[in-house]
Amino acid sequence: MKSRELETKLRLLTLQLENWKKLHDLITYGLDKAKPIISSEQERQFTEVRANLLQETEYVLRQLNILDGLSGKAMNVLQRTASVRGVRDLTGEDVRRLEMEWNAVFTKLGVAQGQLKARRKQLAGQTAISYYLGRLFRRPAVAA
Amino acid sequence: MRLRRRILRRRWCAGRGGSDSLGNTPQASFLLSWLLRPFEAVETRVLILNADPVFQDRALAVFDGLDLETDVVRTFSEAIVSLLAENFDAFVIEGQPEAAMEQATNARQHFPSLRIVCLGTQAHRHDVALVGEQQKIELISYARTTGGLRRRIERFVRSIETQGAPSAEGIDPCHSLVGNLNQFSAAEILQMSCLSQRSGRFTFKSGRGNSEIYLQHGSVRHAVFGSLEGESAVAEVFRWRQGRFYFEEGVISQVQTVDRPWAHLLIDNLQKLDETLELASV
Repeated sequence: MKSRELETKLRLLTLQLENWKKLHDLITYGLDKAKPIISSEQERQFTEVRANLLQETEYVLRQLNILDGLSGKAMNVLQRTASVRGVRDLTGEDVRRLEMEWNAVFTKLGVAQGQLKARRKQLAGQTAISYYLGRLFRRPAVAA
Repeated sequence: MRLRRRILRRRWCAGRGGSDSLGNTPQASFLLSWLLRPFEAVETRVLILNADPVFQDRALAVFDGLDLETDVVRTFSEAIVSLLAENFDAFVIEGQPEAAMEQATNARQHFPSLRIVCLGTQAHRHDVALVGEQQKIELISYARTTGGLRRRIERFVRSIETQGAPSAEGIDPCHSLVGNLNQFSAAEILQMSCLSQRSGRFTFKSGRGNSEIYLQHGSVRHAVFGSLEGESAVAEVFRWRQGRFYFEEGVISQVQTVDRPWAHLLIDNLQKLDETLELASV
């Protein structure tokens, strides 16, 4: 059995995670002092990823019911990273804070993705009929 | 391309015995266990190119409800990178009809046997439809209602599923050369055989299907892959990075669909491959 709602959430989450990974790759490149050249193509990619995240993050987090915990952190990351060159000029303290906030967002999204995939796997082993029969005949939880 | 047919392999579930307690007669128990059986499915894989998959997701929402695996990419270069992995049954390009058709035509140059569909947000104009027909690109336009769009998409998905599966692999002792494409590319082995003036038949087997290339005195005489024949079939095999091949000495084709020297074919196809890889890196 396949749940359309679940599939939609997973699609949104996968797209969102993909963008956070790309952002991280570019931030890591920007912070790497051994790579002195930042091309205009990289800056363009960075702006594109950032634009996607800025317009989609709030909507996706709301769809997943995790807006409250993450919205502030996600916006902080996006506001601090104006460009690849800008990331290079951040102070050590700012970089640490940026990494912590990126990690908080990434961890939460990763956990949510895992939960949705587990739910999908569970549903895949059921037919629509067995699912609804199970719901119908399941023993109700006993209140403590 | 790996053409994994969606095979619904229904199998009796472990809980069949458990269902006996629900039915009083063997017939009732059989019916109940048949209804409750789970199934495994090897799903069709579709790559979807959509520049704004979060907000322009009317068609994506329809795909979400279907029994198939979808990958969504935002840019054409990302799509090329994914398609080079050779494991999609179809490529759907969603967007304005003219822009989608341009990208589809571009993709067709690099993937001659791939099923490509333009999913237009508006009705396709006559000239766009004409290009689609020439390039073997299917057109689906948004219907007014979601139900209508769903029916169109479902019809397309069913048509992928009814395509024939590749035949099973088999190696015969009479094959004089057998190997894997991930170790030697098609270009390398064809180059080697042509240089040594061989005559015979090469069979390439991959998830995408089977292809045959006939050599005669070190030149390619005939090539076939599905509905493709001649140079386009050779071009297709050049891209394969997974699969097996074998050579049967002395099998000659009566048909001739390739009349250019091997060296020209090699240079042209390698150049085309470079162009594809260049697109992927943009």
